[in-house]
Amino acid sequence: MSVMLEKWRGDKGSIDFVQLIVGLLIIGIASIGTLSALSYGYGQLDQQMRHRKAIEVGRSWVEYLQGRLHCDFDKGKFEDAKLANGTLNSALRTLLDDRGTTEVYDDVYCKVSHGKLFPMNLPETSSMDWWEIYVKVEWAEPDEDEQYPLHKVEFFARMVPEGY
Amino acid sequence: MNLTKSRWSGDSGWTFIEATLSVVIMSIMVLGLTIVLMAFREHLDRSWAVRVMDQYGNDVVERLTHELRNAVDLSVRRVVSGRQIMLDQIDIVYLDPFYLDRTITKRWRPSSKPAIITVDGVPLDPYFPPRRPGRGEVYEIRRFTLTPYGQDGRQGGTAVWSNEVFDSQTRNEAFKEATYLIRFKLHYTRSAVQRGNPSWTFDKEYFNRVYIRNMNLPIRRKLREQAQ
Repeated sequence: MSVMLEKWRGDKGSIDFVQLIVGLLIIGIASIGTLSALSYGYGQLDQQMRHRKAIEVGRSWVEYLQGRLHCDFDKGKFEDAKLANGTLNSALRTLLDDRGTTEVYDDVYCKVSHGKLFPMNLPETSSMDWWEIYVKVEWAEPDEDEQYPLHKVEFFARMVPEGY
Repeated sequence: MNLTKSRWSGDSGWTFIEATLSVVIMSIMVLGLTIVLMAFREHLDRSWAVRVMDQYGNDVVERLTHELRNAVDLSVRRVVSGRQIMLDQIDIVYLDPFYLDRTITKRWRPSSKPAIITVDGVPLDPYFPPRRPGRGEVYEIRRFTLTPYGQDGRQGGTAVWSNEVFDSQTRNEAFKEATYLIRFKLHYTRSAVQRGNPSWTFDKEYFNRVYIRNMNLPIRRKLREQAQ
């Protein structure tokens, strides 16, 4: 019995310190790799979702401008002249992704603006033929500087004038 | 330093305790890895479900936008109006391509459960919701509305353009009658892996504003005169 106890309590041939550290290192590297992949994938899905939302916002703004130009636009009115000049220097800042309802500091905002509305006149016709519309939506991802947004979607559209 | 005699290394074979401990440690490692892989799989399933939702949501909004751009008239009737579910029935009128003095109508009908939108009785997408849902998977349509400009204060579920109501007060009737906001919201529920735990839910809303230009053209005026 004492021989058996001696054998069980013995430390000859046991897993040594180097082996233990190497084993833990391997497990740690595998875990870190897996968690990094999961975290990256999750971030990419969020980024794609914000991109799609920006497209929806931009398209809605294009439709609004097309509607205004087609049936509710008067160059003589101050408000409409201001609209025609564009808003590239005074973009509308709107919420793109609230990222959870409990905190507001992590919200992602986008800037929506449109360029100058150009009336295009073909040489063959006497009156204006269409309006050129340019809309831009810019935003910065959560780990980027909002002052210098790196992500952008642009829309180029046309709209016929009133009566067409 | 003589490594063979150092206490840091030993190669005298396995003792009973060593073997037991090794088996225990390896079992814990395998258990941990299994849990990580199961969590990874659950994450993939949820991501896939969200992509399925996105595909259907974008399909519905795109198709409706396209149909409205070619429409000459429409009528909207709210059939379900609640705090959680809001559904509209939409009848879209087009000019008959063969007989220009006649019109044809397409009827868009939503259903919350099962989450199906039909156009003249035909599902918009025969593969949604998925035929073989996963563990406790349920898709619901929580919102399918078409609202005239200025009558919906919050666009797209977020205050994207919070001054729409204010802006609509200075717009003329021709613009307000022809500009609509499409809002389509899907709700996804998935049972938890362990019974008793709360289910995982996900809501997503898809929206688009559309200007129905044919409503401000002489053709519509003529159709209305003919109808009278």
